[in-house]
Amino acid sequence: MKRGFFGLEFIAALLAVVVASAVVGGALGAANLVRAGIEKARTEVAAGSPARLSEIAAHGQKLFAVNCSHCHADDATGDEGPDLHGLTKSDERIKGIITNGIKGEMPSFAKKLQEADKEALVSFLRSLR
Amino acid sequence: MELFLGANIWEMMHGGSTHLPIALMLVSAVFDALGGLIRSERVRDRFHAAGLFTLIAGTLGAFPAVLSGLILARWEIGGQGALFWHHVFLWPAFALLIGLSVWRLIVRGRRTRAGFLVYLLAAFLAAFLVSAAGFWGGEIVLGGS
Repeated sequence: MKRGFFGLEFIAALLAVVVASAVVGGALGAANLVRAGIEKARTEVAAGSPARLSEIAAHGQKLFAVNCSHCHADDATGDEGPDLHGLTKSDERIKGIITNGIKGEMPSFAKKLQEADKEALVSFLRSLR
Repeated sequence: MELFLGANIWEMMHGGSTHLPIALMLVSAVFDALGGLIRSERVRDRFHAAGLFTLIAGTLGAFPAVLSGLILARWEIGGQGALFWHHVFLWPAFALLIGLSVWRLIVRGRRTRAGFLVYLLAAFLAAFLVSAAGFWGGEIVLGGS
């Protein structure tokens, strides 16, 4: 073995620190980026989570009480109009009926309800069991 | 496809690869220490060569271990409890493994006595750190059972 520490070994040590820092720092940074992306995706999914949907459905329930309960009963079990529990029609079909009504049976709500209102009503109807 | 998308492949990769740096870093440090004690130049060089090869193999094994570990931990680099302590020892151990490998590959046999002693201390520190990371990794899997 040679005497003296500085020189090649010192340069090698500097390079070792640089490479190790770059690799580990890169791994930590990449992990943080991926984790941040996952958290963002989770937040976006949570925006459409049951808690958010129930808020929309609650709005739909208010709209139902004002606009629909006369014919479909307060609990939507049906009166003059049919029972609305367990609907098998698609969301679009339900919104179409709300918009256009049914000739001789149900009035049109096209001028009274906006698209968001109709979606809220559908959410409420979907919440009925 | 299920194998690649599910957690099993990463558990298998982590379980399989994580023992490479743990075992090989320990063996590498011991080989180099023995090489430092032996007078015969021929045998000494062989011990140091074995120390270098086991160090490189252990460092290469650390990459799949770290990648699969990050995926299993859902990219958490800190965490809590056993995972936190696993990471406390893991990251410096990973850095040391890479740093020691780079140093050895550049210096090769042109090291000084002082440089070799500093290297040996760092190698045993890396062996301790990677073993401690392995211990806390075991606590994550088996702790509380």
